[in-house]
Amino acid sequence: MFAQYKLRKRLGTCLAGLAAMALVGSMAAAPAQAETTEAADDSTVLRIATDGFIDSFNPFTSFYLMPTNTFKYMYENLVGNSAEDTQVSEGLATEWDTDSEGKVWTYKIRPDMKWSDGEPLTAKDVSWTYNQMMEKEELSVANGALVENFDKVETPDDQTVVITLKDPQANNPGQEIPVVPEHIWSKVDKPGEFKNDEKTVGSGPFQLESYEANKSVTLKANPNFWRGEPKLEEIQYRYYTNSDAQVQAIRSGEVDFITGLTPEQFKAIEGADNVETNVGNGRRFQGISINSGLADADNKEFGTGNEALKDKQVRQAIRAGIDIDTLRDQVLQDYGQPATSFVPSVYETWALPKDDPAITGFNVEKAKKLLDDAGWKEGSDGIREKDGEKLQLRFLTDSDATVEQNTAKFLKPWMKDIGISLKNEASDVDTVSERTTKGDYDMYFSGWSLGPDPDYQLFINTCDSRPDADGNGGTSQDGYCNKDFDKLYRQQHVELDEGKRADLVHQALAQHYEDAASITLWYPNQLEAFRSDRFTGFTKQPTDGGIIANQVGYWGYSAVEPASAEDASGDGGGLGAGGWIGIAVAAIVVIGGGGFLISRRKKSDDRE
Amino acid sequence: MTTPTHDLPTPAGGPESGGSGISGGPSRDMDEPPKGASFVSYLLRKLGGALTSMILVIVLGFFAFRMLPGDPVLKIAKERPMSPAQIAELRSQYGLDKPVIVQFWDYLVGIFTGDFGESYVYRKPVAALIGEYLGPTLLLTAAAAVIAIGLGLWLGQLSAWRRNSLFDKIASSTSLVFWSVPTFWLGLILLMIFGGTLQWLPTGGMITPGLDPWSFAGIVDIIKHLILPVITMVAVVYAQFLMVMRASLIEEMSEDYLTTARAKGLTEDEVRKKHAVPNALLPTVTVVFMHIGGLIAGAVTVEAVFSWPGLGKLTFEAISGPDLPLLQGTFVVFSAIIIVMNLAADIVYRFLDPRVRRA
Repeated sequence: MFAQYKLRKRLGTCLAGLAAMALVGSMAAAPAQAETTEAADDSTVLRIATDGFIDSFNPFTSFYLMPTNTFKYMYENLVGNSAEDTQVSEGLATEWDTDSEGKVWTYKIRPDMKWSDGEPLTAKDVSWTYNQMMEKEELSVANGALVENFDKVETPDDQTVVITLKDPQANNPGQEIPVVPEHIWSKVDKPGEFKNDEKTVGSGPFQLESYEANKSVTLKANPNFWRGEPKLEEIQYRYYTNSDAQVQAIRSGEVDFITGLTPEQFKAIEGADNVETNVGNGRRFQGISINSGLADADNKEFGTGNEALKDKQVRQAIRAGIDIDTLRDQVLQDYGQPATSFVPSVYETWALPKDDPAITGFNVEKAKKLLDDAGWKEGSDGIREKDGEKLQLRFLTDSDATVEQNTAKFLKPWMKDIGISLKNEASDVDTVSERTTKGDYDMYFSGWSLGPDPDYQLFINTCDSRPDADGNGGTSQDGYCNKDFDKLYRQQHVELDEGKRADLVHQALAQHYEDAASITLWYPNQLEAFRSDRFTGFTKQPTDGGIIANQVGYWGYSAVEPASAEDASGDGGGLGAGGWIGIAVAAIVVIGGGGFLISRRKKSDDRE
Repeated sequence: MTTPTHDLPTPAGGPESGGSGISGGPSRDMDEPPKGASFVSYLLRKLGGALTSMILVIVLGFFAFRMLPGDPVLKIAKERPMSPAQIAELRSQYGLDKPVIVQFWDYLVGIFTGDFGESYVYRKPVAALIGEYLGPTLLLTAAAAVIAIGLGLWLGQLSAWRRNSLFDKIASSTSLVFWSVPTFWLGLILLMIFGGTLQWLPTGGMITPGLDPWSFAGIVDIIKHLILPVITMVAVVYAQFLMVMRASLIEEMSEDYLTTARAKGLTEDEVRKKHAVPNALLPTVTVVFMHIGGLIAGAVTVEAVFSWPGLGKLTFEAISGPDLPLLQGTFVVFSAIIIVMNLAADIVYRFLDPRVRRA
């Protein structure tokens, strides 16, 4: 009996607790609504949804996109990249020059600049930062490659930086390296392990105020920014684990800016109230990488690539057999720019022009002829054969990526049309990555984001970028190796005349196009949206049709200002959240109680 | 008197047969100990079982994740200008240049000293990270557990008592519908309706950044953020409590002592509340304990949908890394919670049911 009593009491407590929670919940909702409205009055805080990984905010060691994007707002570089067209433009340096071969670079630093804490910013800070990266292994983790070619960095005076390179290069070496204040970092005990995640001191438009893992990142405007203090007081990144939740958050006005939407999500919010959208021409390409016979640095072959793909004509036939325009329209819902080669068209100077004679289009007859010429004859089932072998290829894709799966669906019948049997091997992204590293594929769906200078991307298409005999080192875009391409790469690498260099880059891209080591499909748009009732003045890069987030530079949010007062009117009356929740609770109580009463009444019926 | 039956009758496809995710379920066959077995030997047997499971989890935790395809270093290096020297430096920082057996030894030594290694992504000790993220997960699961258990048991006993009535049919089938709905989907739908469209409730996170969690406004804000994830969790799991309660009460309803109770002139309500329900609760309590472990594991999905900064989200991110030390840590901790809960279920059951104790 005692046990029964105790248990009953426990059940009673349980139910009482449940009721209490419901009560608290409904009561809480009313003041909570007021809270949100209050926060919304904070009209100079730009709230951005993010799901980015953060290891730390240490510019020497951090790898992830979220912190590296933030560095662009925290630390000015020696030279920047313009919002207009991403060309090299002034940063800490107002002007720069190089000797006749591109080996000694001299920069003039803007006088009277200050760090965000008011200390003077001089050439010494620049040389100190660069030297740290050159001397200390633990500080070269993230950006070591950018100073690999540096021989020495000197400062003849407070306004001059001289970088002497080991080998000449045409690409301005002062880009993309965050310059940190010596007076702060020289006092840090173990700079390699320094988290740098609160009240940072820097030179860019915003400084990191605080960071709470998986909750928020808060940046504060830097009053000493040399271009002038931003109009925004704060930028606040808020964490959302999935992009569908981000879409809901911008609809409800909990965040002011989101990026990286899928076409479906983008279409869903296009008509939403107070939300403006941006179809940004991105700096990324996507394409199909073809295993044209992988080999390591010693020319020893590895992997399981189909022998047929070693033949350039077969690879060209595959390209001719793909109707890329239809694919872009159907798979990407046209949210992408037509592509030529792997340098995106936002980099106007370097991208392979559309009218280059090397470019060939979709042409089924040509594809068939190329395969005929290569000795692949149509068999009885329509699949081509050579020496008793059927032309069967594997297409490796990420099973979670809708774009890749849909591409595979279109490719299969198109390849069948020209006599190639294509099998979609969909797998998780880690398996795809492992198999591509081992060369265990015929074709796979690939993509890269490019910086403003094409040198690095060209480099990873040279023979030197192939892995060594142990499979280590070397990041090669497609495992491509062509001596003629390498020669063009080396020429453009040191050509200081931009016009001549662009010509060499175009020649290299045309060579790569003709060799068809990969087929660039498109440059996908970056789909973004912001609350137009709260903010205006987002700057795109390039300004004509470019992107707002993920820029090379700090243009996107630096000129943002609150929208005019009448645009930002509050929601007009109506029943608040508290009221609705109260109603919901009441409904549950009524329904539950009704059920209870019904059950009681029936009971008494039973008894009679 | 009949002997208690613990192989609960459940409707086909009922929650008990499925269970949630990781929950292995304790060995039910041991619920009826051999006659004469002392409590101490029973306890030792259960402890031994739990310990064996724990050792297996620890070993599995290391090797299973290493068998996953994908190289954490190459993943970081992807699409970044990195030299081979930088990649080698990272590899040695992560300890991935050592032979697997040495890594395993380091891992074992670490676990027994409470050191799960350092997360690749957060660059922080895994144990500290888990400590930080455990709180929000406990808050979420505790709130959901209390409501789901309360709601499930209450509706379950009502349904059983009015078996096959309209009320029973509605309550049972509604719960089963929710139980079969994918958590992720239900969460997103609720998010869309109450967050995006009606804008009554926040769309993610635990607290509005900048608010002090210990202030009144902060607590209210946390409760607001709790509502949708809790509703989602409750909706998906309460059916299992309802079904267990319903089944075990139906079992009790044919017992002679209820006839006796009615004969004494008690009302139906009194018979149900004072006699049938307390007895039916006994097997239910065991099941409840077993499911609490599963609930915590189920938080992974809910946290991912509602951006709740808890252990589940941490695991979710560790998988995309793959952040091996963090994955191992969360795996071991989740498994430990389930193993401990199952052990507790065994012990509590033995303790609660006087018939088993006396046996």
